[in-house]
Amino acid sequence: MRWPLDRNLADFIESPVMQIIGTAGVSLRPEIGRGVGAWCDDLRTIHLVVSAWQWPQTIANLRDNAQVAVTFARPTDYVSYQIKGTATVREAEPAEIERSSLYTVAIVSSLMKLGLMPEMIAPWLSKREAMLVSIDPSSVFVQTPGAKAGTRVWNSAP
Amino acid sequence: MTLNLSDLQGCFEGVVPSIISTADADGVPNISYLSHVVMVDDRHVALSNQFFAKTAANIRLNPQATLLLVDGRSGLQFRLDLVFAYALEKGPLFDHTSLQLDASSAQIGMTGVMKLRNLDVFRVTKIGPIVSPAETSEPLPQKPNRLAAVGKIVESIVAETEADGIVDATLEGIHGELGFSHALLLQLYEERSQLITIGSLGYRPSGIGSDVPLGEGVIGAAAAQGQLVKVSDMSRVRRFGAAVRDTSLDENRTRSIPLPGMPDAMSQIAVPLVAGGAVRGVLFLESQERLAFDREDEIALSIISRQAAVSLTLSEKLSLEADPQQDSAGEHPVLEQIVQVVHHSFDDSVFVDGSYVIKGIAGRLLVSMLEQYLANGRLEFSNREIRLDKALKLPDFKHNLETRLLLLRRRLDEKQLPIRLVRLGRGQIGLRLEARPQLRKNLS
Repeated sequence: MRWPLDRNLADFIESPVMQIIGTAGVSLRPEIGRGVGAWCDDLRTIHLVVSAWQWPQTIANLRDNAQVAVTFARPTDYVSYQIKGTATVREAEPAEIERSSLYTVAIVSSLMKLGLMPEMIAPWLSKREAMLVSIDPSSVFVQTPGAKAGTRVWNSAP
Repeated sequence: MTLNLSDLQGCFEGVVPSIISTADADGVPNISYLSHVVMVDDRHVALSNQFFAKTAANIRLNPQATLLLVDGRSGLQFRLDLVFAYALEKGPLFDHTSLQLDASSAQIGMTGVMKLRNLDVFRVTKIGPIVSPAETSEPLPQKPNRLAAVGKIVESIVAETEADGIVDATLEGIHGELGFSHALLLQLYEERSQLITIGSLGYRPSGIGSDVPLGEGVIGAAAAQGQLVKVSDMSRVRRFGAAVRDTSLDENRTRSIPLPGMPDAMSQIAVPLVAGGAVRGVLFLESQERLAFDREDEIALSIISRQAAVSLTLSEKLSLEADPQQDSAGEHPVLEQIVQVVHHSFDDSVFVDGSYVIKGIAGRLLVSMLEQYLANGRLEFSNREIRLDKALKLPDFKHNLETRLLLLRRRLDEKQLPIRLVRLGRGQIGLRLEARPQLRKNLS
């Protein structure tokens, strides 16, 4: 079996892209959260920093049933991928919070180049009570607007 | 604090994408950005879901959905609990959303890609703010009292009797009372399926005489559909019109005047001029501010546009009531200098001393007046006789001889040519010459 991610997709995930997280606990009430930094050094597990202070229900849902969908979207050209899988959650280490800070600087610069003011972006990017969400992907979908939107490009099932 | 949908106006401008999350019957979540969220009424929102079959399938298996909206000014986020209510494939709300979507996709070079197929309508069961790590940003600058501003602008428009004054009162009012600095007033010329700029505020060159095909860009779309079209954030957007440049040479080659535009516009709004149930033109504004035009501005500009449309239509009618005047004494000064006028009959374009002036009916009007001057020294004309002049082959236009004369007059003024037109009173127009015209007709 080849790895779920190739280096290109990993580079994309680690670049300044917006990161949004979907979860649904056993109640099936969907929830939305944002990530503040992601990486996948081994091309197997995606690590994502998420504020438990800003997105408490997202963290609760992940602990509840581990189901996760995360979409990475590049603001400059709308290129987007959605990755689904299961996740574990733990408190982020200082080095991971530091890595998240580098992302924050990069995404703020990227959005400012598109004309957004930093005070407008600030409400979206919290590291308070930072958690590390580690995702084991089961499928990858193209989500860029257009004819291929929704196409699965990888699946863990044989 | 209980929040209502109407408190979230700043979230429905499409500046920051909204996010929707759904889950299937097994609790597998799905998350995606949405291009458009529309407030249907106090308890319902409609979402455009062009691409994501998964979201559409999920809400039919598990009707719960969660929406994240972002205020386009403050960046503050709001979480909405939704329950899927019904899908829409036609009707006024569908048409309105489809038009807005087409206009904004054309702006980002994605014409056709974002075609609206259906709208999913959801009932909103709960609205709450998402905590923000940032301090609340400083209060936004106060907008003027729009009701008072509209009152003053309408008052100054109705005080005018002629097209000139009506166009000026409209644009000056928008500047003085509403504080917007860049605007165009365009008249619909049905025989050409084009909108022609007859009034201009804040642009150099003014772009008087520039045209927009019916249906093209936000201006053409507003006229074609008879509906207001607004774009609130153009940061990733290419301008639909020509870039601002000095174009007098290009004009001579292309025989068309470029539409003026702000190179760094962030917001645009196009409001149809409607009178007697028909679209007569478009009022267009743009601004460097993001979200420059809010809901109250939309209403204010709609009232102003309708008043301008009614006043222009009335002025057209009244201008025909004036009787032809006898030319006041034939003592014209002797004109020593010569000015070359060339008329190309295939498009009725007119060039004065090699410089493109105008084409179409306005071109034919100018040539006709010059011919009458050359034949018998005539310098004064009435709208009524122009309308009745069979030789002009005027189409059966009902509404805009006045504005065509206005366009021609302003174009001659802007080009600072030795041939000018002046108003002599209601329905009366005079030719003013600083040089003797030599008219050449190019019949090819």
